[in-house]
Amino acid sequence: MLMAVKNQMRVCALAVKYNIMREMLNKVTFLTNILFMMFNNAAFIVQWVILLRLREDVGGYTMREVMLLWGLAASSFGLSHLLFSRVFSLPELIVNGKLDAYLVQPKNVLLSVMTSATSASAIGDFLYGLVLICIFCFSVRRLLLFLLFTVTGALIMTDFALLMGSLTFRFVRAEMLGSNIVASAITFATYPDGIFHGVSRFLLYNIIPVGMAIYHPVHIMIAFDVRKLLAVLGYLVFLSAAAVFVFYRGLRRYSSSSLMQSGRV
Amino acid sequence: MKVIEAEDLSKNFRVKRKEKGMRGSIRSIFHPQTEEICAVDSVSFGVEEGEILAFIGPNGAGKSTTIKMLTGILYPDSGHVEVLGIDPVRKRRQLAYQIGTVFGQKEQLWTHLTPYDNFRFFGAIYDLDNDAAESRIAELAEIFELGAFINTPVRNLSLGQRIRCEIVASLIHRPKVLFLDEPTIGLDPVVKENIRVLIKQMNRELHTTIFLTSHDIGDIEKLCKRIVIVNAGQIVLDDSMEHLKYHYLNKKIVEVKLQEEALWPPMEGITILKKKGGNIKFEVDTAILKINDVLRGINAEHIQDINISNIPLENIIMEIYRTEGRADRL
Repeated sequence: MLMAVKNQMRVCALAVKYNIMREMLNKVTFLTNILFMMFNNAAFIVQWVILLRLREDVGGYTMREVMLLWGLAASSFGLSHLLFSRVFSLPELIVNGKLDAYLVQPKNVLLSVMTSATSASAIGDFLYGLVLICIFCFSVRRLLLFLLFTVTGALIMTDFALLMGSLTFRFVRAEMLGSNIVASAITFATYPDGIFHGVSRFLLYNIIPVGMAIYHPVHIMIAFDVRKLLAVLGYLVFLSAAAVFVFYRGLRRYSSSSLMQSGRV
Repeated sequence: MKVIEAEDLSKNFRVKRKEKGMRGSIRSIFHPQTEEICAVDSVSFGVEEGEILAFIGPNGAGKSTTIKMLTGILYPDSGHVEVLGIDPVRKRRQLAYQIGTVFGQKEQLWTHLTPYDNFRFFGAIYDLDNDAAESRIAELAEIFELGAFINTPVRNLSLGQRIRCEIVASLIHRPKVLFLDEPTIGLDPVVKENIRVLIKQMNRELHTTIFLTSHDIGDIEKLCKRIVIVNAGQIVLDDSMEHLKYHYLNKKIVEVKLQEEALWPPMEGITILKKKGGNIKFEVDTAILKINDVLRGINAEHIQDINISNIPLENIIMEIYRTEGRADRL
C-alpha cells in the first residue's frame, strides 16, 4: 500500500516536472508570462490604494487586509493552476474523449489527469502572493499560516473546479455553467467579504467556496480562531470527498470519442 | 488458453437529436430529444494466447468501442468481459499492468520530451525501478531501431518514428496483450511494412497476444491468422484467414491480351469487367466454370499475355460488409 502511494507520488512529481519543462522550452515566453502576470496583479492594487485614500476601510478591510486577501487569492489560484491546471479544462477532456490515455494506465486516473498540465503564468500568481505578504504584512507566524492557507485554498479551488467540471459527464454543455461559476469564485476572492450581505454572503460561504478558501483564512491570519481553522479544514475534507465522488460516478458515464487528437497535449 | 473472453457484450450511447436550422436549435432547448444508438450489440468472442487477431469493420461498426470496453476505458451496458482473467470494469488498474495500448489516432507521448524521457516516465507509471527501466529501454530500442532518434524531442520525429515510439512506450512493462487501434494510419507504405515486421517479430519473440483493428488490408493480410468482422455492432464473421480466403476465393480475375478481339468466345460463369480491343479483364466464377475450361475456350495461339489472380482481400471484406446477414452461410 505504502509502496503504491510512493509510486503514485513519484509519477505525479515527474508529471509536474515535465509540465514545467514544457513551459520552459521557450525561456523568453516563460519568464515574460511570469513577470507580466505579477505586473497584471499589481495593477489592481493601485485601484485599492486610490480607493483606500478616499475611505478608511471597505467592508471592514484596510490596506493590510486587502493585501492579505489579494496575496492569498493570487497564491492559492497560482498553486492550484501550477499543479492541477488540467482540472480547469476537465470539461474539454470529457467532451472530446481525451481521458482515454489516462484510463489505460495503472495509476489513479484523477491524479494523472490533474497533474498532466501546468500554466507558466500561475507561477507569477503564486510568487506575487508571497511577495505581497512579505512586503506588506510579514511575520513568521503569518507566513506559516499563509503557506498553510495557500495549500488549503488551492485544494478548495481545485476541488470546486473538479466538482463543476465533472457535471459535464452528466449534462451536455455543463462546462459553460461550471467554468462561469469557477470564474466567479476567483473574481469574488479579490473583494472584501464585508461588502457582501444576505443571499450573496450565504452563497459565498456555502455554494461558491470563496468564504472557506479565502475569507476565513484572512480572518484567521488577522486574529487566530481555532474554530474557523477547523471549519476550513473540515470543509476541505468534505469538498474533496464530494468532488472525487462526483468525478468517479461521472466517469462511469464517460463515452470517449473517436476524434483524431492527442491524448496528452 | 484464452486471454480475452467477451460474452454478450453490449454498449449503447445516448446522442442528442436536433431539427435543422436555428428553429431546430431553439426547439431543442425546450424539447430536447435524444436517441439511443447501439454501438456494440451482444458481441461474443475469445482470443487465444499468442494469437494475432484482426478485429475489423467499417467506420462506426463498434471496433473502437469494443477495444475500449476490453481495456477498461468504457463500461459495458451488459455482458461479461475478462482479459487475462481480470474484469476490466472492476480491476482496471490491475489489468493495465498486463496490457499495452496503441491508439494510432491519439498520442500518449509527451511531445516536448525525447523518446528516452518518455520511456522513463512510462517506466515510472508501471513501477519499474531505474535499472529495470534502463535495460528494458535498451532492449526495445535495439528491437525497434530507435538509436538514431531516441534523444530527439518527439515533436521533431516523423510520423513513422513516432508510432514506433508509441509502440515501445506501450511495451515498456512487457504486456501480455497488446491492443493496436489502427497503428499504421497515415503512414507511408515503407514505414507501414516496417511496423508490420516489428509487430510480427514482437509476437514471435515476446509471445505477445495482439488485438489489432485496422482499415488497412495489408496489416490484416500480413499479420493476422484470424479475422473477426463487425458491422453495425454485431460480429458478422469470425474465421481464420485461410478459411476466409478458401470460401471467398471461388472467383478469379483473368486479364488477357488477345491478338484479335473477334476470337473471344462467350461462356457461362464469366463476367466481363473491362474490354478494350484485344485487352479483356474478366471475372471467372470457378464454381460454374473451371479455369482450365476458360483457357481451352481461348485458343492459346492467340494469347499474347495472360494474368490470373485472386480477388483482392479488400473486395472480399467489402462484400462481407455488404452482405452481413449472410455470414451464417460460412
